[in-house]
Amino acid sequence: MLLSRRIFALGFGLVASLSFSAAALAQGSANAQARELVVASSATYAPFAFENKDKQIVGFDIDIIQAIAKQQGFKIKIINTPWSGIFAALNNGDVDLVISGVTINDKRRQSYDFTAPYFAAHQLIAVPKSSTVATLKDLSGKKIAVVNASTADDVASREFGKTSPNIRRFESTPLIISELAGGGVDAAIGDNGVIAYRVSQNPALKTVEDPSFPEEGFGIVVRKGEKPLLDKLNAGLAAIRADGSYGDIYKKWFAKEYKAR
Amino acid sequence: MMEPELWFGWFRPDILVEYRQLFLQGAWMTLGMTVVCVVLGGSWGLVLALARLAQSRHAPWSWICRFLLRWPSTVYVSFFRGTPLFVQILLMHFAVMPLFIHPVSGLLIDGDLARTLKQEHGALISGIAALTLNSAAYISEVFRAGIQSISKGQFDAGRSLGFTPMQVMRYVVLPQAFRRMLPPLGNNMIALLKDTSLVSAIGLAEMAYAARTVAGAYARYWEPYLAISLAYWLMTLALTTLLRRLEWHLARSDRS
Repeated sequence: MLLSRRIFALGFGLVASLSFSAAALAQGSANAQARELVVASSATYAPFAFENKDKQIVGFDIDIIQAIAKQQGFKIKIINTPWSGIFAALNNGDVDLVISGVTINDKRRQSYDFTAPYFAAHQLIAVPKSSTVATLKDLSGKKIAVVNASTADDVASREFGKTSPNIRRFESTPLIISELAGGGVDAAIGDNGVIAYRVSQNPALKTVEDPSFPEEGFGIVVRKGEKPLLDKLNAGLAAIRADGSYGDIYKKWFAKEYKAR
Repeated sequence: MMEPELWFGWFRPDILVEYRQLFLQGAWMTLGMTVVCVVLGGSWGLVLALARLAQSRHAPWSWICRFLLRWPSTVYVSFFRGTPLFVQILLMHFAVMPLFIHPVSGLLIDGDLARTLKQEHGALISGIAALTLNSAAYISEVFRAGIQSISKGQFDAGRSLGFTPMQVMRYVVLPQAFRRMLPPLGNNMIALLKDTSLVSAIGLAEMAYAARTVAGAYARYWEPYLAISLAYWLMTLALTTLLRRLEWHLARSDRS
């Protein structure tokens, strides 16, 4: 669901911004060198970026970009930007980069430049602590909760049949976790970051990784051709991975040891 | 099967055919739920209506009627009519039910029975509970209006013939009130039939769930939603016809 919504928004953002972006784009690039870098993030996607009770934007994405900025010695200012307008803001120079759980894909690569992936995104299974389920195949004949039309829905539909009564479709990730916690299903499947976060808040549940789920990655986005900025971000990312601060941030938000897959 | 291109350009019946199983099961679920909720909601609604009308001149019965019957039932009706059904369904399924039926910590049922109940019928139980409690609130008002529309003289006449108050209600007032209540009751049943669509939010595979699933899978909206609109319409038409015949039947004494 999330992925498709984001692709839609991308298309919309492009159309909306093309008409008035040319002048602003040129000006924005020239200024970017001197002043602090403006970062756009859509704060509705816990635990990557969300508003806490003090209306501050916090989350994994925010900590990562702050660690990179500190490591590379530049200043940043984070602006909460609605997802639907986030690429328009980048195009017309309102912001210099976007970090907002953006999945790297070929379609987006044609319009923007991405850093190396800073987060490995894949599907993740949530089950009760006592469950013996170890792979997707083990869920055969069991009840599964997924978000309607999400990647998890595709995965489950392909494996068990589109009209299988064992697949229960809900509107959001919190609902599938609630259904699992209430004992209504044997497992819930969803995006790893969000699932792991919700499971970490619920001591009765655990996560199970199926290595057959395809790997995708979240990347930091800059305008096409901004090589100096991209190099800085990539260097910073590599450095915080090397010095362990990436692992600390990962543990802080996902409540478990980081291991590269 | 015919090629999709041979049909109207904008309409793809093939995706309905592909998901026909889900639609058919959904239609049965919708019908079954409506019947169960009409029966349960009607019974509970009658109890509520009688509770709201309970009166006595003598202590302590007058106090019991006011504090244990009239007030609680008034608050009940006010709550269920004053909050959205959608919210009641979510509250019932994700908060109330896990409290009572839960494999680990159910107050009423736990263990394997709770697991089976929740997994096989969880959404159905929550949906029926929420719809029944909600429709009973509306139906009780229909009953109350119907009963109050019967003149006080009928009640007094029954009492003077030696009937107890309950017998007067059963044999004199309710049969007359029922005829007047039929049209608004029909309204309530139609509303109930359509309200079952809200239960798709908790994952119950009724008709709206089938349409939502197809819409999600294909990002197409005409086919699934037009199909279930027609199905809901046919069901409400059938219900209306049945009620018309019942009205005609009950009015036979007026015609002879």
